[in-house]
Amino acid sequence: MSPLAATSKLAIEAGVLDVGSEPFLDPGAPEWETVPGARLALEPTPLDRLPSAYVQAAWANRPRANPREVEVRALMARGTLSLRLCWAAPRPVPALSDLDAFPDACAVLFPADGVSAPLATMGSRRRPVAGWHWQAGPLGPFAVRARGLGTVERAKADPLRAQARHEAGSWSVVLSRPIDPGSPFGAGRNVPVAFAIWCGAARERAGIKSHTPSWQELRLP
Amino acid sequence: MSTASSGSTEAPAAPGSRPKQQFAMVLDLNKCLGCQCCTVACKTQWTSGPGMDAMWWNIVSTIPGRGTPRDAFELGGGYRNGSPVPGELPSGREWGEAWEFDYEQVFDGEGYGKTFLRPKEHDGAEPGWGPNWDEDQGGGSYPNSYFFYLPLLCMNCSQPACLEACPRDSIYRRDEDGIILIDEERCHGYRFCVEACPYKRIYFNKERSVAQKCISCYPRLEAGVAPACVRQCPGRLHHIGYLDDPDSAVHRLVHTFQVALPLHADFEVMPNVFYVPPLLPDAFDEDGRFDPSRSRMPLEDLERLFGPEVQAALATLQAERERVAAGEPSELMDILIARNWRDLLGPFDVDPARVEPARHR
Repeated sequence: MSPLAATSKLAIEAGVLDVGSEPFLDPGAPEWETVPGARLALEPTPLDRLPSAYVQAAWANRPRANPREVEVRALMARGTLSLRLCWAAPRPVPALSDLDAFPDACAVLFPADGVSAPLATMGSRRRPVAGWHWQAGPLGPFAVRARGLGTVERAKADPLRAQARHEAGSWSVVLSRPIDPGSPFGAGRNVPVAFAIWCGAARERAGIKSHTPSWQELRLP
Repeated sequence: MSTASSGSTEAPAAPGSRPKQQFAMVLDLNKCLGCQCCTVACKTQWTSGPGMDAMWWNIVSTIPGRGTPRDAFELGGGYRNGSPVPGELPSGREWGEAWEFDYEQVFDGEGYGKTFLRPKEHDGAEPGWGPNWDEDQGGGSYPNSYFFYLPLLCMNCSQPACLEACPRDSIYRRDEDGIILIDEERCHGYRFCVEACPYKRIYFNKERSVAQKCISCYPRLEAGVAPACVRQCPGRLHHIGYLDDPDSAVHRLVHTFQVALPLHADFEVMPNVFYVPPLLPDAFDEDGRFDPSRSRMPLEDLERLFGPEVQAALATLQAERERVAAGEPSELMDILIARNWRDLLGPFDVDPARVEPARHR
């Protein structure tokens, strides 16, 4: 196991993997142990940043779920970037099983241009953010794009793929996508990235989540 | 089916803004039979798609009763002194599931002639709640038991808590008639709107992960046809029209005669569905004769739903009834009786059988 650094801001060193053409999706694959993991501190979204007075009122006194950290590893394999997110989920919600159920979920976010965008507001009109969103169950994963709070749009079709497993009280989710020419994830680049976790057992959804409060750095080989 | 992705070519009114005119309904509860024809008309028209089995955009509840979902009016939402009130999110069982029935066992299997058709929930459990679960149970004790029926549907509120609660602006109020619609393309199924609606008239489609609700049959309205629930009501209890039109029945009943009242005005959402309260029935005395000095139904039951204004509304209704009984004319009673039932429909009196299919969206 590679040593993990407990810090709120850390570079995530992506490794290179020489594998076949299939997307690298298995969360339990031993290859993940060949790259260092970054353990990133998470914070709940501030209530006053939620774009609805109702949501602010409804959540003012509700307990917030706290997966306090997420461990992230990254691998580049034949033009495909795979990210593995692991976090503690002792009471997993693996599906949208009832009308009052909210599946666990996670996401990675980055500036759409790979350079800069305001994270606290989920991008802006002129500087959008893009991301990959997974939620437990059959829906998704979704490639998303946003130009401010409450503006997340899901792509109708995207080659983004995901695979997840819940084991020993933790989720391990791999998000994998081919890197297009001109993508922010070009070879040798350092890309700002942020991560978010939604705890279904606490009915977290939308802006109610735990997230890295500032951009991290994904260093691509 | 995308029920409400774009009801209008006009830009939606901004939250809180006043539409050009407001579509409204008045339901005379003295006429409601509790037959659920409105419920079935709506079901047939709109909620037969995937994930909609247990949806009843229109439902008739027995009052007193716990409603649909269970304890519907006790689950929060709306506003208090202008501030949003946190609401609860009912489970599928609290809403009432779409039960399964083992017809084979009853009609063809060993149970033929020995058992009866038993509903089962999705996991085989016996249902413990459902829409209209406590039908006709009512309150009071024989011979002074009582109940009445309360049809419920989207209230197209002027202060819509659902719209305000949605962080994605997926809910909008049409500028041309004030009807509240959900843009299913924008909705991500967060269900804040379900929590925030104090009448619990927004459903969640689990298969599609979107919120859905009564759309006031806007495609019918746009063709001049009354909503399905209105057309199919045998009791003819719905008056529809534009509340801003001083000549409309809805305006006359709500503003002029003030006999049509909002449900739970204390929710502070300013609904645009109004109810003519049921007249209080005389109690029976010990000999089984009517006792006009007492009512079978406590006034408090009506006040809880319609506020203290219900007393004045009932007094007006009673006075006008007495005028008619004395042979005097009464515009109010003429409107409520609606001898020509098409008068109920306001500007939406087009026969749906005469509408070209192309006019439907």
